[in-house]
Amino acid sequence: MAPKRVLIVDDAVFMRNMIRDIFSSDGFEVVGEAAHGIEAIEKHKELKPDLTTMDIVMPYKSGIEATREIVRADPKAVVVICSALGQESLVMEAIEAGAADFIVKPFRAEDVLAVVKKVLGEKPKV
Amino acid sequence: MSRYLGLFVAEASEHLEALGKDLVALEGAPAAETVDSLFRHAHSVKGMAASMGLEPIAQLAHRMEDLIDAARRAPGILGGERVDLLLAATDTMLAMVRGTGEGRVPVPEPELLGKLGEAVTSLTGAAPSPTRVAPVNPLATAPALGAGLFEVRFRVVPSAQSPGPRAFLVHKKLSSLGRVSSVRPALEDLRAGAIPEGKVALVLETASGLEAVREALGVVPEVELISIEPLRAEPPVEVPPPVVVPTEPARTVRVRTELLDDFLEMAGELLLATARLRDIGRRLPEVQRPALEEGVDRLHALVKDLHGKVMGARMTALAVITDQLPRAARDLARRRGKDVEVAISGAEIELDRAILDAIAEPLLHLLRNAIDHGIEEPDGRAAAGKPARGRLKLTVRRTRERVVLELEDDGRGMDPERLRAAAVARGRISAEAAARLTVRETLLLACLPGVSTAGDVNDVSGRGVGMDAVKRSVEALGGSLELDSQLGRGTRVTLRLPLTVAVVHLLLVRAGGEVLGLPITKVLGAVELPASAVQKSAATDVVGYGEQLVPAHDLARLLHLPPEGDRAIRPWVVMEGEEGNVALGVDALLGQEEAVLKALSRPLDRVAGLSGVTILGNGRPVFILDVPRLVG
Repeated sequence: MAPKRVLIVDDAVFMRNMIRDIFSSDGFEVVGEAAHGIEAIEKHKELKPDLTTMDIVMPYKSGIEATREIVRADPKAVVVICSALGQESLVMEAIEAGAADFIVKPFRAEDVLAVVKKVLGEKPKV
Repeated sequence: MSRYLGLFVAEASEHLEALGKDLVALEGAPAAETVDSLFRHAHSVKGMAASMGLEPIAQLAHRMEDLIDAARRAPGILGGERVDLLLAATDTMLAMVRGTGEGRVPVPEPELLGKLGEAVTSLTGAAPSPTRVAPVNPLATAPALGAGLFEVRFRVVPSAQSPGPRAFLVHKKLSSLGRVSSVRPALEDLRAGAIPEGKVALVLETASGLEAVREALGVVPEVELISIEPLRAEPPVEVPPPVVVPTEPARTVRVRTELLDDFLEMAGELLLATARLRDIGRRLPEVQRPALEEGVDRLHALVKDLHGKVMGARMTALAVITDQLPRAARDLARRRGKDVEVAISGAEIELDRAILDAIAEPLLHLLRNAIDHGIEEPDGRAAAGKPARGRLKLTVRRTRERVVLELEDDGRGMDPERLRAAAVARGRISAEAAARLTVRETLLLACLPGVSTAGDVNDVSGRGVGMDAVKRSVEALGGSLELDSQLGRGTRVTLRLPLTVAVVHLLLVRAGGEVLGLPITKVLGAVELPASAVQKSAATDVVGYGEQLVPAHDLARLLHLPPEGDRAIRPWVVMEGEEGNVALGVDALLGQEEAVLKALSRPLDRVAGLSGVTILGNGRPVFILDVPRLVG
C-alpha cells in the first residue's frame, strides 16, 4: 500500500519540523508544508494530500478559514486541527468549518498518530 | 419515548424560560443578537417537541419562529403588543410542556396560532407558511419517527485533553447522519467541557441505520461507545413524574489565579495557626495535653495535605509560556532579516503558576536577545560556515528541587574581553577587579546596567527589560542565572528556578540605615511614642502597649547597626516573641510588601536572628528578621 500523503500547515517552523518528524517516523509521506492559510489552500489544491494538519492561529488566513475553503472545494478532504490548550472554542469553530478531528498541543507523537490513523480509517483515499 | 419525557420537560422548559427573558430584554433594548437568541430557543423547542410527537407545542413554536424571523431585519418592531403575544405563547407552551410531564396530552391552540399568524402577516404582508411540523400522533402504534430512532450513549475518555471539542465532534458526526435531540448534558455544557464522568446521552433520528452510527463513532478517538439502542415511540400512558436530572459538578473548572493565591495564603495561615495551637498546648497541665495534641496532630495533617493540594493546583506546564516562543521568534527574526528556528523540549514540565508568570517576559527577552545579538545575518552565517537558518534550543529539565531552563543559540557568541573593557570603561568595575574575574563571571557583566556588547540599540531589545532585569527577576524568585558562551559558536543562558514559591508578607522598616523585613503574621501593631515613654527598668527597658508593659529593644542596636540619632518621637513595632510580646524601636515604617522568601545559604544561615532574604521589586535585597531569636 502506498504511504499516506500528508500536508503540514503551521506558521512555526519548529512545529512543522516536529510534525514532519512524527509522520516520517511512521511511514507517512510528507508531501508539502505551508506557513499560512492562503498557502495551505494553494498547496492542498496542488498536492491533493490524504491528510492535512492545520494550525489555527496563522497570518494572512486562519486555519479555520483555510479548512472551510479546503473542505468546500474538496468535501472529502481530511483536515486535522492542531490546537493548543485553551483554544477549545476555536477548535469547535474549526469542526463546524469541516475539520475531521483535532489534536492538542503540546502533543506526543503517539497521540498524533493515533488520532490520524483513526481518522483516516473513516475516509480511505485511493 | 416516555423515558425521554423527563429530559424533554427539563430542556424545553429551560429554553422557554430563556425565551421569556430574551423577550423582556428585547423590549428594553432592541438588539439583533437578542432576536437571534429568541429564534434559537424557539427553534430548539420546535425540534424537541416534534421529535417527541407533541404537535401542538411544535406548531406554536414554529409560528413563533416565523414571527421572530420576520423581526430579524428590525429588532425594534417586536415591541408592545407583539411582545405581549409572544410572551403569552411562551407561557402557554411552558404550561403544555409541564403538563406533558404530568401525563397530560397537549391540545392544539387554534386561537393563539391564529393571532401569531396575523402578527406575521402584518409584518411581512404575506400569509405565514404552513406549520410544516411533521404530523405525528403520539398515540399511533407505529410512528414514522420510531423507525430510525436510536438512543446513543458514549463516553469521552478521562485522558482526553479537550473533552468539550471531543464530545462536540461526536455530536457533529451524528448530526451529519440525521437529527440529534435530547442531548444530555445540554449542548452548551458539552461545548464548555462540563461533562460529568465524560458521559453523554442523546437521541438520534436517522435513516442510515445502526451500522452507520457505529461506524461514525468508531473513527473518533478518545471516545468509547457505551450503547446504541433502537427506540420505539411509545404512547404516553404511564408517564413518570418529571425526572430531576442531578447536576453533577464539572470535572474541571477555571479559577482566577488570584483565587489560587488566596488559597495558598490561607493554607499558609492555617499552618501557622495550627503551630500556634500546638504551642499553647505545651503550656497546658500534663493531664489535658494528650487530647489537645491528638486533635492538633490531626488538624496539622489535614492542613498540610490541604497546603500540598493547593500547591499542586497551582502547578502549570511550561508550555503555557513556551508555546508562544516559536511564533515570537519567527516574527522577530523576520524583522531583523534573519531566519531562525526554535526547538523546545521539556515544555510539559510543571512549575508554580506564579513562577511561570514571572519568567514569561524574561524568557521572551532572552529569546529576543539571542535572535537580535546572537544569531548572525544569513551572509554572516554563510561566511562562518553555518547553515543559513539559526537554531535556538530551549531545553527544560527537572532536577530534584529545581527546574533548569537552558536557552542555547548557535550565533556569534559573546566576547569576554570586550565585556571586560566595556564594564571598566563605563565605571561599573575597576580594572583590577575585572582582571580577576573568571570567564563565566565576566560574561555576567553583560547583566550590569549599561554594559552590553551590542554595538547598536535597536527596536528589538532597546525596549523592555534588559539582561540585568532578567537576572533580577530570576533571582527575586529564588532562582539563578548563568551564562556560557563561545565566541563564534553561540551562547547558552541557564536559568535555575525553584518549583514553588514561598510568599511572605512583610512589614518593611528602616533601622540604622538598613531596610529590614518583619513577618506581618508576627506583628501585633505599631505605635509612635516619645522618648519619655520608654521606662528604664533594672533588666530591660519597657514601653506601654495597650494595658501591658512590653520589653523594648532598639532594633538598630540589636543588629549592631549605627544609631540614626535621637529623635523625639519614634515608631515602635510590637511583635510576638518567644516569651511574650516585644516592642522594637525603629527609625521609620516603610510599608507592607509581599515577597518571595529565599532561604539563606552559608555562611548567612548561621547568623542568629535572620530567617531569610528576599529581593524587592527594585532589586534590593532585604533580610527578614527572626525576632524571637534576635531578642533571645
